[in-house]
Amino acid sequence: MLVVLLSESGRFGNLSFIRHMAIVKPEMKSFIWLETPDGSTQQVEEEVAMFCPMICREVLQTGMGSSKNYAIKLPQRVTTPVLGLILDYCRFHQVQGRSNKERKSFDEKLIRLDTKKLCELTSGADSLQLRPLVDLTSRALARMIEGKTPEEIRHTFHLPDDLTEEEKLEPLRIRTNDPRIRLLNRLYARKRKELKIREKAKCMLENVEVEEEHERERVDDRSVDDLLLFINSGDEKDSKGVKTSASGAPKNKKKNRRRKDHPKGLHIIENGNHKKETDSLCSSASSPSKISKLLESDSPTAIMHSSDFDFDDELDPAMKEQLDREVEDFARRLNSVWPKRVSGTGMGSLGHDRRIAFAPLSRTS
Amino acid sequence: MGRRGIRFRKDHISDLPQSIIETILTKMPLRDAVKTSILSSKWRYKWATLTRLKFDDKCVSGTRDRSLAKNNLVNFINRFLFLHDSPINGFALSTTYLRSSPNIDQWLLFLSRKDVKELVLEFKNKLFIRAPSCLYSCQKLVRLKIVNWELPPPLSFKGFPFLKHLILQQVSIAPDAIQTLISGCPLLESLNLLSNDVLELTIRAPNLKDLILEGNFKELSLENTAKLVAICVNLYMNNIIVQHFDQSSSCNFDKFLGGALSLERFIGRYYFTLYMSIGNTFGKTQMKYQQLKVIELYDVSFKNIKEVMVVLRLILNSPNLQELQISGAWVSSTATEAPALDFWEKECPSDSTFERLKMVKMTHMHGIPLEIRLIGFLLESSPVLKTMSITPRVYMSTKDRSSFLIELLRFKRASTEAEIIFVKDEMFYELRANGQF
Repeated sequence: MLVVLLSESGRFGNLSFIRHMAIVKPEMKSFIWLETPDGSTQQVEEEVAMFCPMICREVLQTGMGSSKNYAIKLPQRVTTPVLGLILDYCRFHQVQGRSNKERKSFDEKLIRLDTKKLCELTSGADSLQLRPLVDLTSRALARMIEGKTPEEIRHTFHLPDDLTEEEKLEPLRIRTNDPRIRLLNRLYARKRKELKIREKAKCMLENVEVEEEHERERVDDRSVDDLLLFINSGDEKDSKGVKTSASGAPKNKKKNRRRKDHPKGLHIIENGNHKKETDSLCSSASSPSKISKLLESDSPTAIMHSSDFDFDDELDPAMKEQLDREVEDFARRLNSVWPKRVSGTGMGSLGHDRRIAFAPLSRTS
Repeated sequence: MGRRGIRFRKDHISDLPQSIIETILTKMPLRDAVKTSILSSKWRYKWATLTRLKFDDKCVSGTRDRSLAKNNLVNFINRFLFLHDSPINGFALSTTYLRSSPNIDQWLLFLSRKDVKELVLEFKNKLFIRAPSCLYSCQKLVRLKIVNWELPPPLSFKGFPFLKHLILQQVSIAPDAIQTLISGCPLLESLNLLSNDVLELTIRAPNLKDLILEGNFKELSLENTAKLVAICVNLYMNNIIVQHFDQSSSCNFDKFLGGALSLERFIGRYYFTLYMSIGNTFGKTQMKYQQLKVIELYDVSFKNIKEVMVVLRLILNSPNLQELQISGAWVSSTATEAPALDFWEKECPSDSTFERLKMVKMTHMHGIPLEIRLIGFLLESSPVLKTMSITPRVYMSTKDRSSFLIELLRFKRASTEAEIIFVKDEMFYELRANGQF
């Protein structure tokens, strides 16, 4: 008996059990007490309530529901209006003699609700484990999504349009579910947008070359691994870095400009300092020897210029610096164990500092 | 974070539990489900956790260029599988574009590593392409449906240990291969086989409950199928089989229905009754089908006494029969040669009753003596009969119909509630059913 009742298609089973139960109260119509999350109770005819597997199980296993004080507590998602709709459904469908046509037309009428109520009804039916109603409402929701443009769907369901442009263009490129990394990407993209706007403003005043460069700028959609590599790569003096930096040298006339600004960025990353220090560093790092030294171990630039990684390698230096700062900011957030010795130290030996700065990150990444 | 619009319009759908979202996304074409990834940040990866995938030709936009469509479909499925991020429980592919493709092999290999449980592969082309051997390494399969493929199982193939439902339609498979396949699936509960080749088939499946067979079978026997509950057999005929029937000596009835004692529903179509009549004897010791409730026999040729004997044997051994439906096969001439009806008194005990028989439907009746005798027999022996519905053949002349009716009126009816419904004017229904148009 129990098994039959707990099965989803237990219409017959429900009734036969109820006949069984009716032996206890032969002539009276029995009611079951239900309590919605807001505290109000109501009594429902037994055969109607038993149509829901969850209520059925509660009655059988715990014996609750027989009186107002022992009302069955319904799950959070089954609010009073939702319960009303569900009971309408149960009341209609538990009657045996209806034809398929009647049932279908009833179902069609039932789901003529706005999306909010439809979603609530779906989740309420799901928590009561009323599978046929879940299927019915899901199909209705699916019909609202199928075949429509994204704009229409967003309008119907009031979804926020919060994907960045490149996420929309390449929606399935960045494969990671970690919300922190998604946050990183999103803010990254937003920052880029803002910097783009700022650049455009600057462009008006500066020379044509910068404008050209800017136009050539492309979407930066580096994967997380690349970003972390970028952060981590301070002390990696691998041949790849050297090679590509060498090949990158004759690429552009504007390299000089980049090289000058880049030490600024580097120092920021390795020291986690404010701008003030970097400014002072910048001035001291203007000598060619230091520049070349920085460049050699300048794997971030190398990586950025390398063709292995499929991203933009002609970012404007000012933006790059801003981006570096942003990345470092989030790198810090991702990695809560940021060593205190890094902050406040002077330049010291570049390599050493970098190693300290990045060691915790590499451990966790 | 992007446009918010009116702030108080809340988004209710994105926060529904994942199981409901999956239900919603599976109720729309896969292409639309993937498109939801650009709706908003919450919807970006909801499609990637779908566990039941259904690929078909609608996944790619229609073009008249078949090779382009094929490439598009292959690319779509490849990209989808790469970006998908959860276990795959069901994979269905139904297409006219792909015939054989190394891609199919790779997908099957991928799926076998993901422990896929349900696999549906339908190829709507006429050519038979060999199935890759990766198919047989999907060892966790519970449900398998294959349409239009050639299945040569490797020699070391032992079967699918968890397979419960098997549907093979229009597959080309060697007879012993199919037998090893069936016996290698110990949990098999339902089998649906539509075969194009002439086969001799012996089914050994201890858990089999549901059996649907269609094809040109020379020999059909069920061994060790004690749990069989429903059988439906459509038996086609060709010259080879006719010859085989002439030479056959064993009793097909015993071989086929001998072991199926828990049978509840039985449907036989086309030449099935003819097949069963081969070697049929009305022996003394016969098995009783205590659970058999519904019998439907189509295309019974009432000119052939042996076929009628099969019908009698079946219904006399089913004491709990509730519904009977018999449809007569086309008979060229209704000229009455007096058939030997004496066998009737010999074989049918006069006190036989069908205690539960409530509904009888006889269609495509010609009004020939054996039909009339059977109907009369049923009327006399069914105390709880409610409806006896008789549909004569369309081209029956009015004279023949009246003589038919007159004969029917003679019979005693054991049931006081019996209604005899003589259905006329079902012309279109009949023509459609005959497949003549």
